[in-house]
Amino acid sequence: MADFVQLVILGLLAGGVYVAVGVGFGLVWGVLNIVNLAHGALVIVGGYITWQLFTSLHLDPFLTLPVDAVALFVLGYVLQRGVINRIIRAPLLFTFLLTFGLNLVIVNVLLLVFGSDFRSVTPSYSGQGLELGSVVIPYVRLMSLFAAILLAAALALVLNRTRIGLAIGAIASDRDAAQLVGIDLRHAYAVTFGLGAACAGVAGGLIAMIQAITPSAGEPYTLQAFVVVILGGLGRVSATVVGGLAFGLVEVFAQSIPGSGSVFANAIAFGLMVLVLVTRPQGLMGRLH
Amino acid sequence: MIAQGLRDRRWRRIFLIVGVVVAAYALLAPLTSLDFAQSANVPLLADRLWFRLATYIAMFIVMATAWNIIGGITGYAAFGNVAFFGIGAYTTGMLIAKAKWPFLAALPFAPVVSALFAALVGLPLLRLRGHYFAVASLGVGVAVGELVQNIDYGGQPLFGGASGLFLPIFSIDNRGLFFFYLMVAAAAVAIFATRWVLRSRFGYGLIAIRENEEAAAVIGVNTTSYKVAAFALAAALTGLAGGIFSQWNVFINQDNAFPIEYNVQMILMALLGGTGTVFGPAAGAVLLQLLIQFLGGSLPISVDIPFVSTAARPIVAQVILGLLLVAVVIFVPRGVIDFFGGRSRLSLSYLRRSLRETSL
Amino acid sequence: MSVAAAAPQLELRGVTKRFGGVAAVDGVSFEIAKGEIVGIIGPNGAGKTTLLNCISGLHRLDGGDIRWQGESIAGVAPHRIARIGIGRTFQIVRPFGSMTVRENAAVGAMFGSDAARRGPKEAFEMADQVLELVGLEAKAGHPVSALTIPDRKRLEVARAVATKPQLLLLDEVMAGLNNVEIDEALEMVRAVHATGVTVLLIEHVMRVIVGVCRRAVVLDFGQVLAEGEPEVVLRDERVIQAYLGERYAKRLKS
Repeated sequence: MADFVQLVILGLLAGGVYVAVGVGFGLVWGVLNIVNLAHGALVIVGGYITWQLFTSLHLDPFLTLPVDAVALFVLGYVLQRGVINRIIRAPLLFTFLLTFGLNLVIVNVLLLVFGSDFRSVTPSYSGQGLELGSVVIPYVRLMSLFAAILLAAALALVLNRTRIGLAIGAIASDRDAAQLVGIDLRHAYAVTFGLGAACAGVAGGLIAMIQAITPSAGEPYTLQAFVVVILGGLGRVSATVVGGLAFGLVEVFAQSIPGSGSVFANAIAFGLMVLVLVTRPQGLMGRLH
Repeated sequence: MIAQGLRDRRWRRIFLIVGVVVAAYALLAPLTSLDFAQSANVPLLADRLWFRLATYIAMFIVMATAWNIIGGITGYAAFGNVAFFGIGAYTTGMLIAKAKWPFLAALPFAPVVSALFAALVGLPLLRLRGHYFAVASLGVGVAVGELVQNIDYGGQPLFGGASGLFLPIFSIDNRGLFFFYLMVAAAAVAIFATRWVLRSRFGYGLIAIRENEEAAAVIGVNTTSYKVAAFALAAALTGLAGGIFSQWNVFINQDNAFPIEYNVQMILMALLGGTGTVFGPAAGAVLLQLLIQFLGGSLPISVDIPFVSTAARPIVAQVILGLLLVAVVIFVPRGVIDFFGGRSRLSLSYLRRSLRETSL
Repeated sequence: MSVAAAAPQLELRGVTKRFGGVAAVDGVSFEIAKGEIVGIIGPNGAGKTTLLNCISGLHRLDGGDIRWQGESIAGVAPHRIARIGIGRTFQIVRPFGSMTVRENAAVGAMFGSDAARRGPKEAFEMADQVLELVGLEAKAGHPVSALTIPDRKRLEVARAVATKPQLLLLDEVMAGLNNVEIDEALEMVRAVHATGVTVLLIEHVMRVIVGVCRRAVVLDFGQVLAEGEPEVVLRDERVIQAYLGERYAKRLKS
């Protein structure tokens, strides 16, 4: 029983990262109908910003998260406005390939700038944790979970309470109608992608505290973001939060099966995804799109 | 109209002639490396490096042409076809390395096992559409590679594990020449298969599925079995390439049998050359593979990129490739063959038009 | 009609289809005999297209049964329905955009019912015959994108006819056409019917039903409101109400 509780706690903590990675990805997919294969690369850009600020300015990594968000928002806005908007009406294969191309560029530019060494962010409290009986919860993990939930809440707030958020919602439900009521599609699309990228940046900052990063460390996160969004259901931030936490739980429980180790994490994740897609395409929480 | 038609026909003829000349050179040049040619003082037109490059190109022709059957003709954007390459490679590799079969007996099992696997995963996957199918198939590609590397049996890695699988060297004279022609034969099989598909009832059914799946169903196309058959055919061809690769390369592991970037490369090749056509993917494979090798600096003709050190060169090459991919996707949504030889000409107005059609 | 007459060609018994609790088709029953030409009319949202989707196997039934020559075809996949001889068109045309007009019709002849299903060469010959029947022979080589709206509707019919159906379901093939075009389309439907095909025609335009059908079924809110000869049915007060609203019906009466 204690083992079970421990696994649940670890699963939720692991899920925090997936929530952070998933919300931005889900937003871009749900509104722009783009599966952004460069999402993981954007995550890692955020990770490197946090690392750079931590190493050269000795900023607390959690304080760098707003910087990640702003920087990535700008990058995302520019990418969408300058590049992705140009093929937004092309068949899905093209957006797929385009974002893969962007992924290639970003990853290799990071390689040129930072090299391929592993980088990690280790604040003074990184080794410490909260002891609950036999379970030790690392502070960093705990804070990351809170930060991820906070991020999701902030995104939901932006989408539901601000003018541009409501415009984005209108676009998601009917692009043409949204245009008819005077929404500037180009700007709104760019803001959407910018918000998605900002979320990716924050996720990257969190990830840099949890694991050592390299320029190509983001690729698994793209796939995992996809699984998270599928699990939760496309179209709502809250659904992605559920999907992210569920994915964390599945991962931790799968790793605890004796003999399987951590090596089948991807296989299990994708098996789960295919199962969900085939049996419940709207996701655990979603409505049919 | 008529003048345009004539010009198009002339363009097409020029392309055909250039294509035939290049293909003839590529197929005949290796013969100059044979002993009797050398002793007769025929100039050496192809060395070892040439063989390696040309065999890779042929391998990508197989993969791009195979992808075209499911992605281009049937319209299902498969992003995990590399799984079939790896399965083919490991099928042949295991039969040779573990069961001690001769290569030529083991090779036919590569396409068979790959096709069976495709049929098995295709049944659930091909019910999905659009992004869902694309990423689910990508997931299968990743998962299969991971499973192959990590499955243990009785405490031993079943498929050689992380250290990979070594095959005994296939002893034959002119090995490079042999594998080059074998891969070319596979490419020919793939191209002829595509030609057959496009002229058959099967192919019309697949195109109908691509254009409108419900409309195809109500005129009597058994969409499920057609899609699965197309997926399995693509898998068989890709698996064949993998099977040849395993013996040619002598060593296989997760990195060279399941390289994720092949997924995108084969699609890009098909797009470059023109999806849904017979020769388009092959032309795209030649173009893109030459470009990749050129940027990577492994072609005999090489140009230094200014301000870039040799160490950084492969990375810069990747950046250029990425930018190129972005440019191609934005400017040429219909493929290069269509672009040069077919319905439209290379002109600024064409670029502007293709931009207007897709952008906001 | 004698008692010995065989089972009706198509028989609907209490066919029901719900979408999220709302019954789009609610217990619809009627029969069609071989060689008939029957119209289904009803206001927008009455469930006409949903009913066609049920017959052609695109929707799974939530209740009732559909029988084809006495045997149940409920739950049978669309391509099997096509194979036993039920063809259909779509209200919003769905041509195979990358193919020519001739190829579109030929694909119908390559698949379709057991009477069709030819190899490509014969299928193209049959496509030519069908295109002549619907009046598209002059445009056989054109890409679909070059066709006008009425021609696209003709092509939709041609592709369905090429599958050699015994029963053809036509979903609003006249919608959006002007009067001259409607007359041409009516002529086309009569020509198809004359080749021995049973026709079930969905229409919003009443004139079409009166012009070509011997029998009409009126749907409203997913239920059969009236059934009988078109002229009689269209004078039915409930039908007028359903179409034109209560106030107008009263005014008409007084």
